Amino acid sequence: MSFEADVVAWLPQLRRYARALTRDPAWADDLVQDTAERALTHVRAFRPDSNLRAWLLTILRHIYLDQLRAHREITLDDEHGPWQSLEAPAGQVDSLVLRDVQRMLYRLPLEQREVLLLVCVEELSYQEASSVLGVPLGTVMSRVSRAREQMRLMLAECSPQRTPTLHAVTNRK
Amino acid sequence: MNDDRDHAPAQGFTEPELDRLSAFVDGELPEAERQYVAERLASDACAAGIVEHYRAQRAALRALFADPAAQTSGPFVVLRIRPPWWRQAALALGSMAAGAALAWLAGAAPPLGTPLSPPTAAFARQADLAYAAYAPERTHVVEVAATNERMLVDWLSKRLDRPLAVPSLEEYGYAFLGGRLLPGPAAQFMYQGSDGHRLALYVSAAAQRESALRLLRRGDRRTFYWASERTAYALSGDLPQDKLREIAVDVCGDLGGHPELWK
Repeated sequence: MSFEADVVAWLPQLRRYARALTRDPAWADDLVQDTAERALTHVRAFRPDSNLRAWLLTILRHIYLDQLRAHREITLDDEHGPWQSLEAPAGQVDSLVLRDVQRMLYRLPLEQREVLLLVCVEELSYQEASSVLGVPLGTVMSRVSRAREQMRLMLAECSPQRTPTLHAVTNRK
Repeated sequence: MNDDRDHAPAQGFTEPELDRLSAFVDGELPEAERQYVAERLASDACAAGIVEHYRAQRAALRALFADPAAQTSGPFVVLRIRPPWWRQAALALGSMAAGAALAWLAGAAPPLGTPLSPPTAAFARQADLAYAAYAPERTHVVEVAATNERMLVDWLSKRLDRPLAVPSLEEYGYAFLGGRLLPGPAAQFMYQGSDGHRLALYVSAAAQRESALRLLRRGDRRTFYWASERTAYALSGDLPQDKLREIAVDVCGDLGGHPELWK
């Protein structure tokens, strides 16, 4: 496959990540556009034997952080952010309510949210996540862990029983 | 952003211990440590509860953002490629100018009026998306590996509220890799051939008792799907159509269906 075709093949995944990260479809689409554009015009910066997906995610992340800095008024961790009012999918996965999980995801600090999405949704290895985020592997490991524990505490708080050691997997019905 | 550190970790667990449980969930521990954690989980209900919660979180996140192709806003995206001006000058001479726009056809956007009857067409699209999402995975292709087949089948049967079975595809050269639970709920069983090609059997509840065999095509992917005993099955792969159909017929028969009715 050509380099262009390889890049195009990763676009759906990039878009998924961008949407999860920003919770804003229009912004996500722009990010994907900009990422693909930058990748295709900087082909020579890519080492052919390295991980294209990680490279693309790295570019996307840099563009995202640049745009965040440029739009200081957008405070992603704001509880009143636009995603709070968006229709969240209803439904349960192993007794966790998706709506709650989604809400808590956007209450996490950005550095925890991004690593959680890379590892859980994009299924990157810690090694790959470490190269995308530009931090040591041990930092990836502890950030994922902090993010999960933070989510767990927040979800326990919002569950009606307020059980701190929420047993996530219970029989439905 | 250190606010997370203000929270006391779960009672009785140090941060390194939680790190280890979290890495265990991601399959990122060296074998010796993995073994150690697995043993601890067997005897420590509290640690096991945390691991279960972390797994549930991951499943929920995947369910929230499961289908990349389903999240497209339109039928295609046009990539504008705007090289910097100094390269544009060079490009005007060269070969890359022709590649100025790439259209990307979104696999999931169904053409209007797809001539398949709902709800099975929707089911087939889910199966196809699940295949497209997980078959290329290198590290997390399945949630539970084939080595724990009995546990996997028990777990998924319970979740789907029906007895499931894993048909063998050994005679076609496909080894069973394992499976995962997907939103729906649905189960996905993954197989891999010696050449690395993968097939997935996707299973969920069906409204119909029995149905004919149907085909869904998306790019190079083929999904044959049918219903049998109020259970819907879909076999997805990027094999030649005839070959995949042959396997689907066998799978249906193996699972107690009646493929002879399809002829």
